[in-house]
Amino acid sequence: MDFMIVAKTVGSLALVSGVLAVIISIADKVLNNYGQCKLDINQGQKQLTVEGGSSLLSTLAGQKIFIPSACGGKATCGLCKVQVLSGVGAGQVLPTEEPYLSEKERAENYRLSCQIKVKSDMQLLIPEELFNIREFICELVELEDMTYDIKRLRLKLPPGEEISFKAGQFVQLYSKPYGKVKEEVFRAYSISSKASEKDHLELLVRLVPDGLCTTWVHTALKVGDQVRVSGPYGEFYLRGDCEELIMVAGGSGLAPIRSLVYDVIEKGLPHKMRFFFGANTVKDLYYMEEFARIEKDYPQFTFIPCVATPEAEANWQGETGFVTVALENQVDSGQGKEAYLCGSPGMLSACIRILKSKGFTSDTIFFDEF
Amino acid sequence: MRPPISPWIIFLASIITSNMILANFLGMCSYLSVSTEYKTANGLGMAVTMVLVLTSALNWLVYEYVIVPLGLVYLQYIIFIMVIAALVQILEMAMDRFLPEMHAKLGIFLPLITVNCAILGATLFQVIRHYDFLQSVLFGLGSGLGWWLAIDMLAAMREKLAKVKLPPGVSGPALAFIITGVVAMAFIGFSGIFVIQ
Amino acid sequence: MAERPREIIKRNLFSDNQVLRQILGICSSLAVTNTMRNSLVMGIGLSFVTALSSLTLSAMRNVIPHRVRMLVQTLVIAAYVIFLDLLLKAYLPDISKQLGPYVGLIITNCIIMGRAEAYAQQNKPVASMLDGLFAGLGYTLVLMIISLIREVMGFGTLFGINVNVLNLQTWTIMIMPPAAFFIIGGLIWGLSARALRRAGKEKEA
Repeated sequence: MDFMIVAKTVGSLALVSGVLAVIISIADKVLNNYGQCKLDINQGQKQLTVEGGSSLLSTLAGQKIFIPSACGGKATCGLCKVQVLSGVGAGQVLPTEEPYLSEKERAENYRLSCQIKVKSDMQLLIPEELFNIREFICELVELEDMTYDIKRLRLKLPPGEEISFKAGQFVQLYSKPYGKVKEEVFRAYSISSKASEKDHLELLVRLVPDGLCTTWVHTALKVGDQVRVSGPYGEFYLRGDCEELIMVAGGSGLAPIRSLVYDVIEKGLPHKMRFFFGANTVKDLYYMEEFARIEKDYPQFTFIPCVATPEAEANWQGETGFVTVALENQVDSGQGKEAYLCGSPGMLSACIRILKSKGFTSDTIFFDEF
Repeated sequence: MRPPISPWIIFLASIITSNMILANFLGMCSYLSVSTEYKTANGLGMAVTMVLVLTSALNWLVYEYVIVPLGLVYLQYIIFIMVIAALVQILEMAMDRFLPEMHAKLGIFLPLITVNCAILGATLFQVIRHYDFLQSVLFGLGSGLGWWLAIDMLAAMREKLAKVKLPPGVSGPALAFIITGVVAMAFIGFSGIFVIQ
Repeated sequence: MAERPREIIKRNLFSDNQVLRQILGICSSLAVTNTMRNSLVMGIGLSFVTALSSLTLSAMRNVIPHRVRMLVQTLVIAAYVIFLDLLLKAYLPDISKQLGPYVGLIITNCIIMGRAEAYAQQNKPVASMLDGLFAGLGYTLVLMIISLIREVMGFGTLFGINVNVLNLQTWTIMIMPPAAFFIIGGLIWGLSARALRRAGKEKEA
């Protein structure tokens, strides 16, 4: 092969790519340069001056205001809603936002902050609680296997920092690139530790087959590693306008319930609590001794573990079948009760159906879906 | 070298007698997948037309002033595709800046268009036929309009047919092809008015 | 989770045929199928490009930075297509003329990009090459079926050899675009209906 031809080919391709790359960068600087934009939040409560050109979600995150997002800006979770009073193309909702904004929300100027770009001055309304959300670089101090596929993580916050959360809320955990996964992903996990403990966080992470974040937790993470979390987020917390709390969870859904139970006990609240914990097999059960102990020390709390298909050799003596069966048999009415559920969508819809048939309403059922 | 055909004849022919989809089979993948809803199909048609005009013009300039003088004709495929990709990227940025409402409607289609064979196809046709600048631009414009026309027709028919009970297995791409075949047959009725290929 | 070679072959040729089930690579399937000779050359050419691209991209999969992935794929594919184009121009110049721009358009053929993204990114080089090769051969198979119908009915020939012994009137529309659309539509319909029937039977069982 003639050397000159090879040289000419490689050279000219490099030249053309180079020229195009330069042109694109220049275009980027010129066209994407939206200059400095003023963000007015909550009618003057906070005023920020930021660089335009990025999405509202990431721009706010850069200013330490963390809008919740489960999908990382791909317009598939709908959690990042913010009210935009001005500064965005008059009422033109993007096709990517359409599935997540109801008519009422559109009338109230809600938009998905991951889909709109900061191009000019804007006026925003952001819920108060979101200002409490912060980011922490924690140290992983304990990593324990609770079952064959659930790990408990105990994270220590940086010295001097505290997290104030309501029992039942979740944090976003950011995984790091590992193995074949080149990017950082984040996922939501409920806090399982006591709300009174403000300098530590505990999470329960169940391994999801081919799950990017859970695989990172289960294979790449080691004690001593630095772990980034942000939070607290979530509408799942105790209302308590009742006499008894019916709590139902499956698998790692136990996390927020554990936090809720300890919260009631530590605050000395009078509510009675019944916790129905569903597992597929006896191998899937965990925290058994801990809940048995709470039951003994605090008569207001009853623990009802249910195993769907117990292994013969385990000699399971407790409730058998799906947790819905125990729920159906042991809860008589919704009178004076609130229900707190955390589990898979299938489990939730089955339980909600049963609870509604007993008299619970949408105002007395609270759930956290995976 | 330059074929002695009026640019306006080329323009009309590329819509009617040499339609990109109905006569040249180019741009089928997105034509099939986006034609289930009229509104989105219309948006895509608009975007394809815009990109086609700009790429035809730009690639003609690149061919005349870069590829031929530097003797890079054997690399033309790669260079054309890179130019198309860069153009689409810059177009998206410019639309977002200067025409935000249009960007809100068409923005999502633009990355899809980069790999649309109609774009590269139009460029290759104009090179093979040695069109001059005006002929190329009108060819690009006409090809885009023709593509837009075809996808609008298909989308309109598919929307109506979606409400009808059909034999099993036919709805979806199979039906789209059969409809396209019938429309292509109808367009053959125009042949002979202008001949450019 | 590695697939056995036999499974790769079967899947690409039949159950997940790129043209008839995935509906990819349509543009050229329709354009070159008016004669069997053109179809064969196009099919083999595409198989060759897909196999080598998948092989190369799979070998490079761990070193390509995420952001430039599509660009690198396009460049590798374009390089092999240029190679193919030059080969055809040199050894089969009349076919090259007939195929015209459609050879260059192999670059934008969704089959190659599809295999690169769906398979070569995650699998080993040899398996990827096999996958690419047979995806291309599945495509070739479909092209041969379409062109068989079109050439015999439209020209009365088979690979250029006259088979029209009864000297029947040739069916001109067969060599025009509408016929291509109808034939491919019919084939997709047939396979779709068969798959539905199969799924229905499995549900009952």
